[in-house]
Formats: sequence, structure tokens, C-alpha cells
Amino acid sequence: MTDARRSELETLIARTAMGDRDAFDRLYDATSAKLHAVCLSVLKDRPEAEETLQEVYIRVWQSAARYASNGLSPMTWLITIARNRSIDKLRARGSRPVTAPEDAAAFVACSAPGPESATIMAQERRMLDDCLARLAEAQAGAVRAVYLEGVSYADLAAREGLPINTVRSWLRRSLLRLKDCVSQ
Amino acid sequence: MTDDAPLTPSQEDQALAAELALGLLDGPEAAAATARMSTDADFARIVHDWYERMAGMAEALTPVMAPARARQAIRERLGHINAPLANDPTERRAWWRGPLVALTGVLAVAATAAFLWLPGLQQPAAPGYQAQLSTQDQALRVAARIDGRDMEIALESGAAPEGRDWEIWWVEPDGSAPVSIGLVPRDGSLRMTLPDGLDPSADIQIALSDEPAGGSPTGQATGPVVAIAPLTSL
Repeated sequence: MTDARRSELETLIARTAMGDRDAFDRLYDATSAKLHAVCLSVLKDRPEAEETLQEVYIRVWQSAARYASNGLSPMTWLITIARNRSIDKLRARGSRPVTAPEDAAAFVACSAPGPESATIMAQERRMLDDCLARLAEAQAGAVRAVYLEGVSYADLAAREGLPINTVRSWLRRSLLRLKDCVSQ
Repeated sequence: MTDDAPLTPSQEDQALAAELALGLLDGPEAAAATARMSTDADFARIVHDWYERMAGMAEALTPVMAPARARQAIRERLGHINAPLANDPTERRAWWRGPLVALTGVLAVAATAAFLWLPGLQQPAAPGYQAQLSTQDQALRVAARIDGRDMEIALESGAAPEGRDWEIWWVEPDGSAPVSIGLVPRDGSLRMTLPDGLDPSADIQIALSDEPAGGSPTGQATGPVVAIAPLTSL
């Protein structure tokens, strides 16, 4: 994401926080197709994804004022809201125990990253694909499934036919390896 | 499957932060880790770095335009407009189709043609494009028109059969995956603003595919392409 686009989205969110409906409309124009893709990726159901997308933008309208203090880049904040809301919906479908992700953690205030750290994160993102490709296929597949499809440890354990704790320690190591790779 | 060396404390924090950011923790663990963010700024930073890192996967997804009704519903639910809408996108259809139904078919067709083709009816002239999509037998005919970043899709004939929809795709010349920009309305026209990243030019093609009602469940075209046409400059 270019700096210009980032600051444009930041401005739109800031104006949305002040109740500017035009800014909210423009934010929707600029980002809804991507957030809709996130909802679809998790839910794999058009009507449910569309309903979820509505809830996401209602949440964005209502909580835009809390964006400035959380230190996330605008697209990451929006994607996180869309992903977490979709996963809430996904897990509410089954009667299995809900490990609610909510999006509380995305709202916790955090010192904004300095320009240096923002640059590092942008670079890590560009590395992400390469680094996923360097993981073993099963590891990369599991990381993608967890992030893009909302797969849980219980799902992974069922899929691999392994105890949850085994799967958990395996995925944790995969994530650490991924982080070492992108931040090297 | 794993090497057995225990994680260092710093690796434990990284792993926990990743699990929190990914929504992998169950209720009490998630609550404890979220609470820790409020008192441990370094940990909060690590969690947020995981959000940023992982968001790269979502940014790489192919955008899928939501139907126009989603935005209308958001506006209604926030009380930004009353339902039914003063500027209902179907209203423009109503003024020419509704009252003119009693008149002759010729007049109605003329009115439709004027509505679709007279340039600058609503906006000052902007870089404009059009595409005329049709099947060989002309049973299905769809007109697409772009003014600036506003796009209008009008069904002229050939609504999709019951249980199916025609899905509209934006096809770039570079062979990348087509981007869904919505469904052909079952009658009348659909207006939308083009999402970021879609820039009209004569290299772009618009395609229609035959999909289950509501559109492709995968975000990629699953059914046959029934019509395709390039954008041409107005």
C-alpha cells in the first residue's frame, strides 16, 4: 500500500469518526470489495458474507473514533474487523465451543509505530508470500487456512488426525519460523 | 513433526501474540492475553505486528464487489437514509418504465434507449466507456457504461433462469484473475462506483458468467462465460 493511499484512508476514517457520511461512503467505495473478499474467504457463502459486510461497516462507522489510537495501518484495522466478524459468524454456525476471537485486541491502544517500524512491517508483508513458500507445504497450508478460512486448532486436529496439543505446538513453531523468515 | 526444544520466553510471547491475533485462543486464554496488552506495551506491539504481517494474505485476495443493496442496507441500518430510499437506484427505471407502461411499446423502447445512450444526462462529461454484451442469438443483451468511476449495468433482455445469476467480471489484459463486480440485475439497471484498483481503459474486457443464484460461491467464475466484450471509448 502506498503512503498516499494509506494517508487517504486514514483521513477518511478520521472524517468518518466525525460523522462525515460522504467520507464514510468513499471509505466504503475504496475498501468494500476487499473486505467482502475477506468475508467470502472465511464464510464461503454469499448471502452470509454480504450480511457480515454490512455489520463490518456498521462497526467501522461506530468505532472509527477509536481507530487513531490503536496504531494499526488502516487496511489492517479494516481487514481485522472483517476477518474477526466473519470468524464469529463461522463459529456460531456449528454448536461447537466458540473460541470467540471478537476484535477486542484490535482495539487495544498501542503506541503508533514510528516511520521506521511502519517501513519494516511493509517490507515483512512483501516477504510474506516468499516465506510461506519456504515453509513445508502442510505448514503453509495450515497458516493460510487459519488466517483466510478461520480454521481452528480443533479443525486442524480433526483434519490431521492428531491431538490438539500436538497440532498447536506444530502451528506455533510454523508461525515462529514464518516470523523469523519475514523479519530476517 | 516438531523439534522438541522448548520455546524461549520471547518465543512464547511471539507465539501467544500470533495466536491471539489469529483468533486461535479459547475464551479465557484470549481474555487473559487481551488484558495483558493493556498493561504490557511491548506485548501489545507484538500482537499488532502480527495483525499487520498476516493482513498481507488478505490484501492479496481478489476483490469481490458486493451487490449495491449491501451499501443501501448499511445506510438504512445507520439511519443515514430512510427506506424506501429517496435515491433508490431502481427509481430511475421506475420513471420510465412504470408510467410509460400504458403507452406504446415503441415509446417505451425509445425512452429506454434515450436513458441508456444519451450522454451526460446526469453528470458532466467524464472519460467514458461502454461495452455491449450479448450472446450470439441476442437472447441475452446487457449494456455496460462507465462515466469517470461510476458504472452502470443495464439488462436489456435475457434475465438469468430461476436459481441462476449472471455475474459480471472485470478482466484485465495481463491474465490476472477476473474481478467480480456484481450481478446483472434481474431487470432495470445497477449503478455502482468502481472499486480502487479497477481503472477503465480500452484494454479491459467485461464478461458475464452463468453462476448459482447470488453469484459464484468461490469468488472466482465457476460457470461458463456467456458473453464478453471489450470496453470501448465513448
